[in-house]
Amino acid sequence: MSETTTVTQEVPEEIERFNIIFRIQHVLMFTTFLLLSFTGWGLKFAHEPHGISSIWIRIWGGAETAGLIHRIAGVGMLLDFIWHVLYLGYLFATKQMTINTKTTVIPLPKDVVDVVKNFMYFLGLSREKPRFARFSYAHKFDYWAVFWGMFIIGFSGYALAFPMQVSYIIPQFATGWIWELLWLMHSDEALLAIVFIIFWHFYNEHLKPEVFPMSWIWITGKISTKQLKHHHPMEYEHLFPDAAKKNRKH
Amino acid sequence: MSNTRFWIIVAPLLFLTFLVLPGPGFCQESANCLLCHSAMKGRIKTASNALVELNINADKFGASKHGSLSCTDCHMRFSDNPHASPGSDVPQSVLALSLNISPKFKVDPVAGAACITCHEKTYKMVLGSVHGKNIVEEHQSDGALCLDCHGSPHYITSVKDDSSPIGRKHQIETCGKCHGDTRIIEKYKLEENVMESFGESFHGRKLSLGHTRAPVCASCHSSHDIRSKNDPDSPIFGKNKLVTCGKCHKGANEKFVPAISHKRPGPIPHYGEKLLIILTIGVFAFIVIHVLIEAFSDIRDAIFRKKEEEE
Repeated sequence: MSETTTVTQEVPEEIERFNIIFRIQHVLMFTTFLLLSFTGWGLKFAHEPHGISSIWIRIWGGAETAGLIHRIAGVGMLLDFIWHVLYLGYLFATKQMTINTKTTVIPLPKDVVDVVKNFMYFLGLSREKPRFARFSYAHKFDYWAVFWGMFIIGFSGYALAFPMQVSYIIPQFATGWIWELLWLMHSDEALLAIVFIIFWHFYNEHLKPEVFPMSWIWITGKISTKQLKHHHPMEYEHLFPDAAKKNRKH
Repeated sequence: MSNTRFWIIVAPLLFLTFLVLPGPGFCQESANCLLCHSAMKGRIKTASNALVELNINADKFGASKHGSLSCTDCHMRFSDNPHASPGSDVPQSVLALSLNISPKFKVDPVAGAACITCHEKTYKMVLGSVHGKNIVEEHQSDGALCLDCHGSPHYITSVKDDSSPIGRKHQIETCGKCHGDTRIIEKYKLEENVMESFGESFHGRKLSLGHTRAPVCASCHSSHDIRSKNDPDSPIFGKNKLVTCGKCHKGANEKFVPAISHKRPGPIPHYGEKLLIILTIGVFAFIVIHVLIEAFSDIRDAIFRKKEEEE
């Protein structure tokens, strides 16, 4: 009995972290995101600096074409998001995915503790790094930021792109201010999303010394068990309990 | 003589002949006036204390829409020797109109009224509009009439021309000369935020980015028969907006048309934006601080704590 468990518990060189469907969803997400950012930026800052934006928009084929690109990319992104949510539903329905504190992306109280611990470590107040599960608070922040963006920017963008269709479901009392609010939501939160991606996502997945020039997980979907052990010790213990125990003994 | 040789000799001669011919065909009488007025520079003060621009740019005039008119077609009071005896016979209708619009035209009100001889329908429309009534009924001198929008009558170009003050390129600034002027806005109690709100709207942004179908002022407010926003006949009054917006936005309904106005944002969008800005700054502060001190600790670890990592 004990022999068979050691065989099954052999630790592979690497494990799959994101399957092909998640990887395709990610590629669709960032291509549409870049197209939307580039074309939307020109409209948000149409007047300043004077003249530069119209040159920038001309690079994207002029105002009409840039608008068309923005709409197509926007619808593409929303469809990608809906696909992602449906796919998660499918994984749960077929029990391929279950909620477990060591693998879930759902924020937990531990994440708040991890933030404090991590700051203590950064500042040299503690020598101990927080032990992350499959998704650290940084990953969770990254992931849920997209959800926030989808609801705030995605739906406001849909309303602005197809105002006539959306106008039928707008209650009468809101017509005086809703359009202005939708526009402000769309443009301000889009700026937040761009800033977020540039500082948070780019630092964590591109510029950090250990991943520079980028983390290749987005293409391969795989993470080495060595890295897993280092960056996601709780998930490592969850996946390979015996190996983890052995390690601790040694 | 071979054909080629013939053309080699004749073509330059023909070319030179064209150079010598007067460019745009001024009529003889215009040519007489331009003889002096194309060379004169500067302005003079008239008896009525108005400044007259003496110079006429003959090339620009010739290329303009009015280039083929003779000077006295509009400056009707001036005979062949204008400076000796202004006072030729002027049609009654023009003369009556010129008296009505004289506060606007201190120099030659007859010429200002003469537009009506060719543009009768348009001129009458203007006289009935909120701009025209301000001149002929209120006798204001700072209201708009033909030249305030169209620029100098000597250099009028097609509305499609980029140089036209009422074309797509310059119409906003042309209207803004008055509608963005705080003195005029206060005097006539005009909507005070029109220039800023247009610039910030989707319409204004797209126009400045070169969108070919983005609207300009006249697209919604109409031009010659412009009316007060409180006039039931105004294209932007109440339900008329459904038709006006519907010109571009097919199926524009009552819930859609409030999307664009010149009003300042109400309290909900105003405080909504404040909230979003606080959120943005909060998130921004968190991620920037996090990234900076993380980078700092990564560097520290790489330099001072290498050994511990290897254990």
